[in-house]
Amino acid sequence: MEINWSTILGIIFTPIIAFIVGVTYGGLTRVITARVQNRYGPPIFQNLLDIIKLYSKESNINHGVMQHLGPVFAITASVTTLFFVPVIKDSTVFTNFSFHGDLIFLLYIMVFGSLGMALGAGQTGNPNSAIGVSRGLSQLVGYEVPFVMALVAIMIQFQTTNLNDLLAVQDHFTKWIIFQSPFAFLAAILAFLGMMGYAPFDVVIAPAEIASGPPSEFGGKYLGLMLTSRSIFTFAKLVLFTDIFLGGASDFITLLIKTFILYMIPVLTGIVFPRYRTEQSIRFFWSWPLFFGIIAILVVVF
Amino acid sequence: MNSIEYILFITFIGAGLTFIVHHALPKLRDTLAILVSALDLYFVIQAISEKSKVVLSIADFHLIWKTTPYNNLFAVLIAVLGFLTILYAHDFMSSKDRLGYFYMNFLFALGGMYGIVYSQDFISLFFFWEIMTWASFLLVIYCCKDAQPIGLKYFVFSAIGAYSLLIAIVMLYSLSGNLELTNLISNFSNFSVSNQLIVVTLLLLGFGVKSAIMPLHVWAPGAYFISPSPFTALFSGALSKMGIFGIGLVLFKFAAQSGYFSYVQIILAWIGGITALLATFYAIFQTDAKKLLAYSSIGQLGYIIIGLAIGTPLSIASALFLTILHAAFKAMLFMATGAVYFRTGTTDMNSVSGLIRKMPFSFITALFGIITVSGVPPLGGFAAKWMLYESLIQSRHYFLVIVVFAASTAAFLYLYRFIFSLFLGQEEKEWEDVKEAPLLMVIPMLILSAFVLVVGVFPGLILDPISQSMNYLGNFNFNYETSVLFNEWGNQVDMQTVVNTIGAVFLIVGLIITFKGFKKTRYVSTKDIHTSGEIPQENENLTYAVDFYKPFERAIAPILKSSIDKIYTGIANNLEQAFDYLRYVYTGNGQTYAMYVVFFLSLLILFAELIFGINL
Repeated sequence: MEINWSTILGIIFTPIIAFIVGVTYGGLTRVITARVQNRYGPPIFQNLLDIIKLYSKESNINHGVMQHLGPVFAITASVTTLFFVPVIKDSTVFTNFSFHGDLIFLLYIMVFGSLGMALGAGQTGNPNSAIGVSRGLSQLVGYEVPFVMALVAIMIQFQTTNLNDLLAVQDHFTKWIIFQSPFAFLAAILAFLGMMGYAPFDVVIAPAEIASGPPSEFGGKYLGLMLTSRSIFTFAKLVLFTDIFLGGASDFITLLIKTFILYMIPVLTGIVFPRYRTEQSIRFFWSWPLFFGIIAILVVVF
Repeated sequence: MNSIEYILFITFIGAGLTFIVHHALPKLRDTLAILVSALDLYFVIQAISEKSKVVLSIADFHLIWKTTPYNNLFAVLIAVLGFLTILYAHDFMSSKDRLGYFYMNFLFALGGMYGIVYSQDFISLFFFWEIMTWASFLLVIYCCKDAQPIGLKYFVFSAIGAYSLLIAIVMLYSLSGNLELTNLISNFSNFSVSNQLIVVTLLLLGFGVKSAIMPLHVWAPGAYFISPSPFTALFSGALSKMGIFGIGLVLFKFAAQSGYFSYVQIILAWIGGITALLATFYAIFQTDAKKLLAYSSIGQLGYIIIGLAIGTPLSIASALFLTILHAAFKAMLFMATGAVYFRTGTTDMNSVSGLIRKMPFSFITALFGIITVSGVPPLGGFAAKWMLYESLIQSRHYFLVIVVFAASTAAFLYLYRFIFSLFLGQEEKEWEDVKEAPLLMVIPMLILSAFVLVVGVFPGLILDPISQSMNYLGNFNFNYETSVLFNEWGNQVDMQTVVNTIGAVFLIVGLIITFKGFKKTRYVSTKDIHTSGEIPQENENLTYAVDFYKPFERAIAPILKSSIDKIYTGIANNLEQAFDYLRYVYTGNGQTYAMYVVFFLSLLILFAELIFGINL
């Protein structure tokens, strides 16, 4: 890995852009949700203001080292995921380290944050946190399986595990993987619903039931850090899906359009659906998404 | 004398001596055991450069012990783990009695393993195999009377394995008139196909019992659970690897020559996959930390079996990598659990909780252990898992890779439960006075933790000896650098970049969050939490541990209903009834037996011509 100016620029600007975009999308979600529910809703930049407010607050208490480090684990995973995804196609600045890692690495680094968070939430001793973690990990097993099936189908089809190679394959919009292997996309996008944690798969934080679950003992700078991480991670996941299925983006406008459309899928689903119980959501992920995943693999094989 | 002679001599004499010393000078006993294992370690490393060979000729049988790259890999693993576990045992066992018995069998088990890995003929292999089995059996039943049925189960399954090994060895001898490994390997292709298949199946069965692949695993959870922790670490870390050692040898030295190899491969790979998945599911619902780790161990060996069975260079590399790594992390986890047991007297995850602040080093070991098992970067587990997935995908095992992935994702569940129940969660008053384990127990744990960290950043360090031993097994070459892994399509993972990124972000954010208003925060207890306005009383139980994964259990309930253990128990019960009828035959009356003898002799005479071809 050689260090030059474009690498350094990428390292500095990618997380900042990711944060701004992620936070704005978060604000937009709140507005859209409000409009669907016939409310006016907060301003678009409310999430950013919230985060700034949280950072400026003074924290008085902590529950120990793991609780202190939990949000740090989360943001480490988010930023690392971001660095290993090519944000802008063929750009020298925004490809970052994507040549040094592949899809299987991304699969694992994406759960790194949740596990770190789970450890942090565990030390607080709040039973709600533990219940949330138990649900979250169970649901993780649910949606990872169809997601991996989709990825395996794509990896076999294009004989590569690197995102840049996948981008190179999709040089024209007719060659986007969403059209080349639609079943893989179906499996992956259903898994994506679970990954984003909006309803019907929001049993992990279940606001009115277990007091927002794992993050319930985190406030002030810790909550601020977690929201930052969540914004960056949302953006990273959206870019990942854009790269895999929608042919990536060669400029920021295209990127914003594609990621926004993708983002609206879980958001709009979330607005109209009530909440699944954990075992229901696991069974859901192991029914239709799994079926699509199997079809996707079979299509590639035969 | 050369190094191998020294190793076998020192270990076995040392085993006997510790038993004697235990009665004469109890204080010297532990030192002697540590000394023996340290000397073993020294001579094992000597043997690598020395290229030792020992030949012993008895009655026309040549017993041969020799170093090969493949042997050395396992010998080093045994020696290092043996040394660390004996070091750990010093404090752990200090309050127990019958320590002469314990250390003698411990060293016998070690010696048996050295014998197995260095053997170049099937006679000495079988001989040492039995020594190892006996020593481990005696350690399984060491603790108490409860161990009896568990020990019996272990013994019956070991016997099944040993008999299949023995039959295979006898078959090999009758087919080729020779039991030297090199001769057998070169003769193997001359055997008829059915003979090849029978020999390979029997050998795999024999070795498979020790590595606890399903459906031969039922002895493992109990045996790992009941044996004392230092030995459990060795048991799961090294002893079970003897099965892997044998399976590797059988697959690539024998089975690869037969025409049915691809079928053997695919069957074995799927057995490994199912083992990994089901063992993981069982592990999730255990309530005892040691039982959880036992099932986890079975599952991890499933991955190793898959890696060996697939048989591409990358998959074998991942299997051997995981073999070494599993020895390290499973020893770490068993040691950390042992440390908890040492201080609290229980490993029940429903009752122990919140030990993180009392046992920080054990917690760090457990944390490193679970990160390695889960395969999350940057620790060593990631490299092993990565190589396994890549090789599965590239060798077009589409559905097996899904099974493996489901298993290793589900592994997060039990791993989190393990660390959460023991170390995190509510700090109960009951465990207020718990202290960190003694220094001699902490040191081996930290050494292994450092090892998994270094291997995670520089997997190439142990891929060097692995690629040498793969060249011994067959002509397997794969591409790697000290910290970069490549798959067969040429895609890479650069661990150095990964670790740098993770490290840098973690440090920067960690420092910022720590120094931002750090002095103003104070530690509050785990009772001081958000409970919707209610103030929890001092004696109120806020621990969430019982039925931790109830929702997941509901989701996968249909899979868990059937259990192979129940089938075996059913068979055993039926056999018991059948043997009841045998009582009518064995009346206990001498005259009846005399009648049987006369009856049998008359039968012999009647059918003499048919059976012996002679006319009386």
